[in-house]
Formats: sequence, structure tokens, C-alpha cells
Amino acid sequence: MINKILIVDDSPVARRMLRTSIPKDKGFEIFEAGNGQEGIDKFKELKPDVVFMDLTMPVLDGYQATAKIREIDKNAIVIVTTADIQPKSIASVMELGAFTLLKKPAKAESIVEALNKVEMKLKKLRENK
Amino acid sequence: MANETVEIFSDEEKDILQEIMNIAFGNATADLADVVDIYVKLSVPSVQVIEIGALPEYLRTTIKTDGTSNIIEQKFWGNFKGSGLLVFPGGTERDLMAILEDQDREDISNIQMAALEKGGLLEIGNILIGACVGKVSELLDTFVTYSPPQVLQGDTNNCNFLIEQFDPSQTAIVMKTLFNFKEKDINGFLLILTNHESIGWLRKALKNFMDSYE
Repeated sequence: MINKILIVDDSPVARRMLRTSIPKDKGFEIFEAGNGQEGIDKFKELKPDVVFMDLTMPVLDGYQATAKIREIDKNAIVIVTTADIQPKSIASVMELGAFTLLKKPAKAESIVEALNKVEMKLKKLRENK
Repeated sequence: MANETVEIFSDEEKDILQEIMNIAFGNATADLADVVDIYVKLSVPSVQVIEIGALPEYLRTTIKTDGTSNIIEQKFWGNFKGSGLLVFPGGTERDLMAILEDQDREDISNIQMAALEKGGLLEIGNILIGACVGKVSELLDTFVTYSPPQVLQGDTNNCNFLIEQFDPSQTAIVMKTLFNFKEKDINGFLLILTNHESIGWLRKALKNFMDSYE
């Protein structure tokens, strides 16, 4: 079950758009980070169940942050939310182990669908423990 | 300039515009990747409000190269009105054309080559500017019409020719995105300039955009 969600995006507007599109009735705790490095730091500190990750960010981009988070926890679930939907960008983040990619601006239905898939993945991971 | 920015747009409005530009340019590069095998490395866009009087100096320092640049300009009209400028350093036109053409063109005359290079610049400009402005318009629930793109191969030490459409007493909103064509290692940037007339509409459109996420 998802308890904690971490949103990593340099744009406060993008974070707000995502936050408001995440269902409010599930009781998720939502945390935010403003760049990839902050995202890694908060991931270590909070151990969220799922991370929404932007790609184009200052300080540390989403590619590097995704790679690092997956290095810290090989089962970490990272959903990339990006405007950069070039085939090569998508292929790169999927190679890094991203769970899925949502095109910005992500629609509420896509977010719900992705979170449902995360629930299933978490369930499987717990069963296999 | 900072005070001017605060007067025209709040920080939040600038953030919204910046995110919209980010989404729009991301879509534009994906459109380009649909047509040609190129990977475009993106950067975080910026939004500035600049007095028209200061715009030539801004453009001069932003478009700083060895004195020449390839500038593709496309004007657009509607509630959202202005110009898109795609800027590449001078001397990159052959590499840019090679992005679009995979044939060996060494057997043609210099005149034919220049025409092809200009065609390549126009095509890349048309895709990136058109797709970017189009996406901004779509997100802000309006539509624009475009002029055909044109290549401005001017002396970039004199950018006054770029600001003729602006009233000197007014301000311009400048949205800027830097990018890199990775395989060719060509840096460039896209500027979207919109004038004072669009500001009232733009502010309302930005509010409506965010309200849809409340």
C-alpha cells in the first residue's frame, strides 16, 4: 500500500499541478523536492513508496537522480513526469529503471492508473519478501 | 528590470509561464524527433519581462557569437501575439541541413547548397517554433495563426531589426529555452517574444490554467 509520495520537480507550479491531481481520499503523505539532489536526500530520509521525478532540473537532473535512487534501493519506484517525450529520453529513463513515464501535464486519470500499478507492484514485492 | 518584472507578473505567474514553456518546448522537440533522428538536450526555461528599450541589448548579449547567427523568425497572431526566434551560431547551417538530409550533397553548387541550408533552417524553425507556440496556445486554451518562417542572417551586433513590431514605450515578455542537438553538438536557443498587448489576456489565461488544477 502506498503511504508516502515524493514529488521531485524544480517548478513549484509543476509540483502543485501534480499534487492536486493525486487523489486526496487515499490519505497519502506527499513530500516535495526542488531538484534531483534534494530528491535523493529526501528519498534517503523519508523512504517514500513512490517518487514522481521530473527530468530537466538544475543542480542534478532527473536521469542522474533516478539512477542514484535505484542504486540506493533497487526496488525503488520512480515515475518520471516530463515534458521531454523524445523517444531517446523515454528509452534512457526506462533503461535506468523508471517504473513508467507520464507526459506533462499529467492527467489525473493517468496518475491514478500509474498509482494503481504501483500498488500492485508493491503488493508483489511484499509477497516475495 | 527586477521591479518591472514584479509589476507585470507575480512570481507565481512567471512560474506558471515557465512550466508551460517547458511543456511546450518538450513537445516541440518530440515533434522534431518524429521527423528526424536527433536528440535534443533541454534546459530549464526562463521567463523575463524586459522593457523594449533594453531589448536590443538583451538580444545582443543573448545572441552573442562571433558576430553572425542564424536566426529563424516566425510571427504569430491571436490573443497570444508575438515572435518566435530560433537562434543558432553562424556556421552551423550545413550541420543543421545534414540533420534533415542524409544524402551526399557535395556535387552541387554553392548557390544550391546555400538554398538547401536555408531550407533546412526554415524547416527546423518551423517545427520547433510552430510546435512550441502551438502547445503554449493549446495549454492556454487559445489559437494563433502564423506567418511563414524567415531566416534572418543579420549582423547580430545590431538587433534593432528584431524589435520593430514592439512599441518602444512598452514591455516584452521573453521566454527563453537553451538546447543542444547532441549528435551534432550544436547549441541553440528559442526565444518567444510577446508584447504588452498580450499581457492582460495572458494573465487571465494563466489563472484559468492553474484553476483547472484546483
